[in-house]
Amino acid sequence: MLSALLLIPLLGALVVGCWPGKLTSGQARNISLVFLMGNLIVSLCLLPQFDLSVTDLQLRESLPWLETLGLGYELGIDGLSLPLLIMNSLLSLVAVYASEVDIRRHRFYYVLLLLITFAVAGAFVAQNLLLFFIFYELELIPLYLLIAIWGGPQRGYAATKFLIYTAISGILILASFLGLVWLSGASSFDYSVTMAHGLPWIQQVVLLVALLIGFGIKIPLFPLHTWLPDAHVQASTPISVLLAGVLLKLGTYGLFRFGVCTFSEVWVDLAPYLAWWAVVSVLYGSLAAIAQTDMKKMVAYSSVGHMGYVLLAAAASNPLSFVGTVFQMVSHGFISALLFLVVGVVYEKTGTRDLNVLRGLLNPERGLPLIGSVMVLAVMASAGIPGMVGFISEFIVYRGSFVSFAPQTLLCLLGSGLTAVYFLLLVNRAFFGRLATTPTQAVEQDPVLPLVTWQDRAPALALVGLLFLFGLSPSWMTRWIEPTTTAMYEAMPIKLERSSSHLAMPLAKAPIDLASCSDGDCAL
Amino acid sequence: MIQTMPSQLKDIHPFAHYADRLLAGGTLLPDTPDNVVEVMGALDSYGIVLDRYSINLIHIADHQFLNLFPVFKYFDGEINPARMWRHFWHDRINYEYAEYTMRAMMWHGGGGLDAYLDTDEFRQNCQSAIAAKIQFNPVLQLFHRVFPEFLIEQIRQLSYYSGLGQFWRVMSDIFTSLTARYLRGEIQHISQIVDHIKDGLVANAARPITYSVEIGGKTYDILPASAGLTFLPDTAIPYVESIFFRGTPFLGTVSYNAQAQQISPDKSRFTYGALYADPLPVGGSGIPPTLLMQDMFRHLPDYLEEHYLKTERGLGDVRVKICASFQRSMFCVTNAALIGLLPKGADATDPKDVDANREFLLGWIDRLASSQLEQVQTP
Repeated sequence: MLSALLLIPLLGALVVGCWPGKLTSGQARNISLVFLMGNLIVSLCLLPQFDLSVTDLQLRESLPWLETLGLGYELGIDGLSLPLLIMNSLLSLVAVYASEVDIRRHRFYYVLLLLITFAVAGAFVAQNLLLFFIFYELELIPLYLLIAIWGGPQRGYAATKFLIYTAISGILILASFLGLVWLSGASSFDYSVTMAHGLPWIQQVVLLVALLIGFGIKIPLFPLHTWLPDAHVQASTPISVLLAGVLLKLGTYGLFRFGVCTFSEVWVDLAPYLAWWAVVSVLYGSLAAIAQTDMKKMVAYSSVGHMGYVLLAAAASNPLSFVGTVFQMVSHGFISALLFLVVGVVYEKTGTRDLNVLRGLLNPERGLPLIGSVMVLAVMASAGIPGMVGFISEFIVYRGSFVSFAPQTLLCLLGSGLTAVYFLLLVNRAFFGRLATTPTQAVEQDPVLPLVTWQDRAPALALVGLLFLFGLSPSWMTRWIEPTTTAMYEAMPIKLERSSSHLAMPLAKAPIDLASCSDGDCAL
Repeated sequence: MIQTMPSQLKDIHPFAHYADRLLAGGTLLPDTPDNVVEVMGALDSYGIVLDRYSINLIHIADHQFLNLFPVFKYFDGEINPARMWRHFWHDRINYEYAEYTMRAMMWHGGGGLDAYLDTDEFRQNCQSAIAAKIQFNPVLQLFHRVFPEFLIEQIRQLSYYSGLGQFWRVMSDIFTSLTARYLRGEIQHISQIVDHIKDGLVANAARPITYSVEIGGKTYDILPASAGLTFLPDTAIPYVESIFFRGTPFLGTVSYNAQAQQISPDKSRFTYGALYADPLPVGGSGIPPTLLMQDMFRHLPDYLEEHYLKTERGLGDVRVKICASFQRSMFCVTNAALIGLLPKGADATDPKDVDANREFLLGWIDRLASSQLEQVQTP
């Protein structure tokens, strides 16, 4: 079953790439959509097969590969990878759907997009460190090419910077993995046998720090983030959707999977520092976003800030915060994908993302009223307005982290407030007021923007639906995550000191269960 | 030594070229094929809409006289389930717009109609009609005793209903006959449109404006013929002043904030009229000009629809397009009114007369300086 998730996009890439005869851009897009739709359906079919009572890996597949190297084709999923896997399938579909119909070098383009889907899915289902690393690195090449070929005017610079940063990230991660296996004397790179418990404290710290920097680049966390705004600004809209929605999650997934599980002893020791790192990242990202005048850069810096919440929750190391870690990854995936989609439509229709130029896009007759409304909803979700998924994820993160790191949590809360500030600045400048006349329009009385098609609107509206769906019924998400994260917490040999012992209980038994939040017990 | 040059005021007026253009037989709106189609299409649909507005305003004035709860005032006497269904389903003309216009005209006042409504003669006319209307209604009798000005003020408003209804009757007929000529191929230039409107205004200038109601089989004059109220000075000019120039700050396409001093405290300096309105809606919906555009859209002629379909958004922004075309057509009406009102006549050749005409026009052009006049010069 899990292999199907790898084979379908791979097969799609082969079909698009090797199709005999001429293939138009539209045909290549449609073939990719068919394969990715199949991929999404298979992903969703995992849900009924996923046993919530089992906390271990499920749907395992194992084939011997290079046993002398300790590399095996070992796949499996748990509550951590399942939501991310489905999100990858969904956002890949969205990215292909949102791609230009007449894109140049279309075969190559769709092959690369399908390869990214394949590589990311592989990274999420891999249960072998080396296999994870191979998929992790594999995704870099198509992404580099997608930015370098179909990007903006500075694409060469941005793509090279992305490649250098992420290559360093890969080297550090590989070094950490190799050090872990060699120093621990493990027989293979299988997740279940590669635990750092037996290693001396200092070795664990060195390996974890290498891992933190490696994944910190990918997430990205301040000050390792500088590749991200450039990559986003130069990448086309579908690539930004994938980058923000899925690819950054590889970093947080890796950090959570390996940092918390494999290095759980030293993770607890470093947790306070990580929480402060999260604060710096959140505040830096938010303040930098305020200073931006490019809509895409603002959303990119917002990502830097919001991914800091994931680190905060992971550092807090309690069952609730672990749920928040995964929920925030999914939430950010949906919200940032939506934001980039909308910014992409604005750019396509107006030819600019400059907040000093854009005005009045919400104009009901000649602007982009529906897209503008979607932007307002996305902004509300990102700022944590109740009823939407951003509120739930941030609430769980803060509720979980507050008991472990109260000052850091309060400072990160400030970041949430700043989210409202910079996104309101964005909405106010670009969407309110009188619609601006573009340089090509001679008549000031008569500004008009091209019509937005349903192809532009459909993916954005679908994501808006998900924002509300999981915002109003968060248990539809937490039920898949919680058994795994609770088991991860239980498996930690050392627990982080907390102010109240009841938080050690599983989420379902704790009095702060989401279902009972209405009595005010959840209030900070 | 300081040397001064003689003032050449008449030549340094920034908008003097508009006055000169009018004096030379030109028009405020450039004569282009697109403008002709837009203006004719707008006046074509506006003529039909005005006809309905006019009928309804006169119906209210005549048949809803001192009816304090005129629930069916927009039904023109046709009260049946099918009509009610169409009304509530909004398959109808937005008569509300006509009332907004009437109120704006009443608020700004001006002309003989406004002056007559404050005369003792008018009060006596009102008292007679009120006495007849409430003679069998003790509640209203008591009400009239307690609030003696209320019903009189209601009749003042009803007089404006009637006055505007009569004014729009004439304008509707002018636009309808213009449309017929256009469809016969007789109208090909903006100047012909202006001439047709001017001729219509001149021909109806002395048309009497009267208003009387029938109560218990007896007719009561509210605005009698003896008051001498006529079409041009007592309804047309106050209408142009109120609706084209001044307008109302809250009923335009732009929202204004009175607390932020965005509205002039002096009504005579208002510039919120049809000639000044921004056709692009800014953060509002359902505002009166939008209602008018909806009504005009219902009766949009095919040739104007085809013209709009050639543009970027087709009919997606049709109300903005109609508003812009309507504004262009209103510059033609203003143009016709200005030519009709020239103190020395449009045919004056004596330099002194021409100068007098020019001074007259410059005064109006001054007021149009901040209007959309400059914007409509471009295609």
